[in-house]
Amino acid sequence: MITPRIGLLAPGLAALLLPLVATSRGDEPTAAGMTVLPSESGPLVALRVIVRAGSQDDPKGREGLAALTAAMVAEGGTKELTYEQVLRRFYPMAATLSGECYKEVSVFSGVVHRDNLAAYEALVAEMIAAPRFDPTDFERLKTEALDYLTSTLRGGNDEELSKATLQAALYPDGHPYGHVEQGTVTALKAITLDDVKAFHRAHYARSNLVLGVAGGADRAFAAKLAADLSRLPADGAEPPELPAPPLPRGLEVTIVAKPSADSTALALGFPIDVTRRDDDFYALAVANSYLGEHRTFNGRLMQDLRAKRGLNYGDYSYIEIFIQEGASTFPVPNNPRRQQAFSIWLRPVPHDKVAFALRGALWELDRLVRDGLSPEDFEATRSFLLNYSKLWVQTLPRRLGYAMEGSFYDRQSLVQELQDRLPKLTVEQVNAAVRKHLNAPGLRVAIVTRDAQALADLLKSGKPTPITYDTEGTPEEVLAEDKVIAAFPLGEVRVSIVPVEAMFEK
Amino acid sequence: MRRTWTWTLLLGLALASPPARAQDVTAGPKAIFPYPIRRTVLDNGLTVLSVPYDSPGIIAYYTVVRTGSRNEVEAGLTGFAHFFEHMMFRGTERYSQEAYNAELKKLGADSNAFTADDWTCYHITVAASALEKVVELESDRFRNLKYDEAGFQKEARAVLGEYNKSASSPFLILFEALQGTAYTAHTYRHTTLGFLDDIKAMPNQYGYSLVFFKRWYRPDNCTIVVAGDVDHDQLVNLCKQYYGGWKAGTAQIAIPAEPPQREERTKALTWPTETLPTVVLGYHIPAADPGNPDTAALQALAQAVFGETSPLYKQLVLDEQKVVVIEAEAESKRDPGLFVVLTRVRSPGEMAEVQRRILDALADAARTPVDPARLAAIKAHLKYAFAGALDSPDAIANAVGASIAATGRPDSMNALYAAFDRLTPDDLRRVAAAYFAPQNRTIVTLVAQPKEEKAR
Repeated sequence: MITPRIGLLAPGLAALLLPLVATSRGDEPTAAGMTVLPSESGPLVALRVIVRAGSQDDPKGREGLAALTAAMVAEGGTKELTYEQVLRRFYPMAATLSGECYKEVSVFSGVVHRDNLAAYEALVAEMIAAPRFDPTDFERLKTEALDYLTSTLRGGNDEELSKATLQAALYPDGHPYGHVEQGTVTALKAITLDDVKAFHRAHYARSNLVLGVAGGADRAFAAKLAADLSRLPADGAEPPELPAPPLPRGLEVTIVAKPSADSTALALGFPIDVTRRDDDFYALAVANSYLGEHRTFNGRLMQDLRAKRGLNYGDYSYIEIFIQEGASTFPVPNNPRRQQAFSIWLRPVPHDKVAFALRGALWELDRLVRDGLSPEDFEATRSFLLNYSKLWVQTLPRRLGYAMEGSFYDRQSLVQELQDRLPKLTVEQVNAAVRKHLNAPGLRVAIVTRDAQALADLLKSGKPTPITYDTEGTPEEVLAEDKVIAAFPLGEVRVSIVPVEAMFEK
Repeated sequence: MRRTWTWTLLLGLALASPPARAQDVTAGPKAIFPYPIRRTVLDNGLTVLSVPYDSPGIIAYYTVVRTGSRNEVEAGLTGFAHFFEHMMFRGTERYSQEAYNAELKKLGADSNAFTADDWTCYHITVAASALEKVVELESDRFRNLKYDEAGFQKEARAVLGEYNKSASSPFLILFEALQGTAYTAHTYRHTTLGFLDDIKAMPNQYGYSLVFFKRWYRPDNCTIVVAGDVDHDQLVNLCKQYYGGWKAGTAQIAIPAEPPQREERTKALTWPTETLPTVVLGYHIPAADPGNPDTAALQALAQAVFGETSPLYKQLVLDEQKVVVIEAEAESKRDPGLFVVLTRVRSPGEMAEVQRRILDALADAARTPVDPARLAAIKAHLKYAFAGALDSPDAIANAVGASIAATGRPDSMNALYAAFDRLTPDDLRRVAAAYFAPQNRTIVTLVAQPKEEKAR
C-alpha cells in the first residue's frame, strides 16, 4: 500500500525541476512542476498552486496548524499589505485566492479575468511567498476554525459530523489522517503565531509546489508565476510516514450522542489498499459507480434505499474520500492521498429506521461482493463512466486541477486514465477486484443520533430490525427483500458512545 | 440530489425592454452577457432558446418551468412545487423510472433539478451528440408523466429525508422564520421546502399532484434553454417534432399580494446545541424589474454597506472581530422580495451591539453618499463577478433560466448591468432612505438554548 517513494512528488529532485506533467489538451512544455493549458476561447484565467503540506503534517498537539497556515496565506495580509488592503485590491477584480487544506496538500486557486491578470498574479504570489502573519489575522482565523469545530460540525451539520467521525474511526491512534483538517479545540488553542511561521517556512518550499495556469495566459505568464514564487526556500519538509490503518473486525461503531438530532446520520467504511496508482482502482471505479455513484440514481444504494423504500434523501458509495465541490455533483480536484478508504454515506434516516438502513447498506455491499456485476450492468456502467467523466472537466479550474492531479499518482489525469483503461476492462476483472478489496472482515460505522444507548443496545443484541412503512403499496418483492435485510447478520458489534460536545475536543 | 432552495448571493436580474419578436435576442456591444441567445417560440407557446458557447461536445439542456413555491396558494399544500419536481423523475407510460435512469446512465449524463420560489429547473449536462435522445426523453416526461400512488408515497418520504438533512442546520428555521414573519399573505411566506406538517402529509396528496401537473406543466409556462455545442435550427426542429403536440393551457391563479409592512417585526429563535448567535434582517424591496432604477441601486447597496471592502466589514470582521460572517443580498424575484442581511456573531453578548451597528450602517447609507471611487470599484466587482461566473454550459443556461424566472425574459441581466453603469452615489443614498426604514424591517435572531433549559 505504501509505495517506496516518500512523497507524492517524484523524489530526489530540487526546486522546480520535476518531470513534465502530462496534460490533456493544448499544453505547452514548461519548467517542470508546471501545467499550462492555454486557451483562446474565453477571457478567464485559472491559476492553481498546490503545496504538498496538509493536515497530515500537523505536529502532535498542534492539530489544525496546516489548515490555519493555509488560511493565513489565503485570508491574511502580505508583507507589504494588510489583509484589508488585499481585499481592496481583489475587490474590483471580483477575484480571490481560495485556500483549502486537505490531508496531504493545500490548494491555492483562483479565477480572474484577463483584464486583471497581472495585478492578480502579483498579489497572489506575494500572499503565498510572503504572508504577513499578522497577529490580528491570526486571532480571527483561529477563532473561525474553533467556531467551525464547535458550532458547525457539532451543532450545525450532522452529515459532515458523521463523515468526520468516520474519518477519525478509520485512522485512529494518532494516525496523521485521523483528525479533521481544522484540528481540535485543545490544539487550536495551543497553536501560536510562531508555530504558523515555522510551518510555512518548513513546508511552503519550491520542492513542494506544483503550479498550473489555464485559459487566457501563456507560457511567459506561467514563468513569471514561478519566478515570483522562487523566493520560497528550496527544500521543504518531507511528508510523514503513514502507519497502516488497522482493519476493523466485525462492526466497530462510534455513536455520537446528540440529544437534539431530529434524524440519524450514518457513514461507514474500511481502509482499502488501492489508489489511482493501482490498476485495480479503475476496475473498482466501475463497481463503485454501480453500487453508489454520488448523487445519481445509478447506484443500487439509491435505487433500493431511497427510490424503492423512501428511507432518506440519498445513499452513495466511494472508493476515494470524496469532498464535494460546492453545490456541484463532482468532487474537488487535487485531494490526493496515499491511503484511501471505501465508504458508504447514508443521508439522515428517521430514528426508527436506522438499524434497518444500516443493514440495508451492509446487504448491498455483501451482494456486490458475492454476485458482482452482471455483464449487462458492467457494460452500462462502463459506458456511463466513460461519458460522465468528461463532464468533470468542463470549467477552466477543473480542467486545470485534473490535469495537475495525475503527477501525484504517476498517472495521467483520472479522466484520461478512465478513457484509456475502461475500454480494455472486463467484467471478470471488475468482480475480481471487488472480491479482493471490498470483502472486508469488518467496517467502521459512524452514527449521529438522539438515543445513543438504545441504538447501541439494539445493534449489539443482533435482533432483527424490521421496517414499518408509513406509506402504502410497497411491492411484494421489496417486502420479501425487507425480511432478508431486517435479519442481515451484524456479526460482532462493538460500540463506543461519544457525547457530541466531546467531539473534536482533543 | 434534488436541491431545493439555497440561500446564495446570486446577482439580480432585471427586465430591459418589451419582449422582442426577433429570432435573435441580441445584446448591445458591451452587454454583460456576451453570448447570443437565439429564440423561437413554438405554436403551443413553448419557448426554445439556444446559446452557443465554446464547450466542444457538451451541452447543458435546461427546462425552465416558471412555477415554484410562489404558486402554492392552497393551505396544507406548501412544498408541492418541490415535491412535484421529485415526481418528474418517477416515470412515464413509455419510460418507467428505471428505464429513464438507464437511458440517462447510457448517456453518461449529469441530470438533476432544483426548485426555488419562482421556478423549477430540470437540467441535464451531456454530450452534444445526445441531443435528440434528450429531447425525446424530456418531452416525454413533461407531456406523459405517469406514476402510481405507491411510488408517490415513497417519494414523499425521500422529500421528508431532504427536510431532515437540512434540519440539522440552523439556517432552515432561520429562513422559515424570516419569510414567515416578513410576509403575512404572499406565498413567499413559506420556504420552498414547505412547512414540515405539509411535508409529512404529502403521501395523502396523490390526487392533488395530478392537478398540479395539469395546471403548471404546460408549454406556455416553460422554456427550453440549451447552452454549449448546439445548433439552433437542429434544436428547434427536434423540439417541434417532440414537443409539438403538447397542449398549452397554463392555469391562472391569483397570488395574494403582500400588503405594505407598517411596523417592525421581530422573532427570537433558540437552537438546541452550541451554535454561533445569528441575526437575519429583511426589508421589503420591489420585484426584479429593470425599468425600476431602485433594483440596481439595491444590489449595489448590498455591496456598499456589507461587502468585503465596506467600513462595517472592516470593523466587525477584521478589526474588532465581533462577527464571523456578514453578508447581504437584494433578492431578485418575480414578486417583491427582501433585502436580506445575515450575520453570525462571536458571542451572544455582542448581538445587540452588532445589530445596532448594522442598523446604523443602513441609516448612514441613507444620509451619506458612497465615495465615487468606491462606487466605481463596486461596479467593477459586479461586472467581473458576473463574467467570471459564466464558465460552463451549465452556468450559462442557469443565468438565462434565472432571468426568465424573475422577469420572463432571458437576457434581463444586460439591462441590469447597464443600470449599474448609470448609478450615482446619490442613487444609492436615495434608495437606502426609501427602503431601509424601521417599519419596513423584520429581524430574526437565533441563539443556542441556555444549558439550564435543556433539562426540560
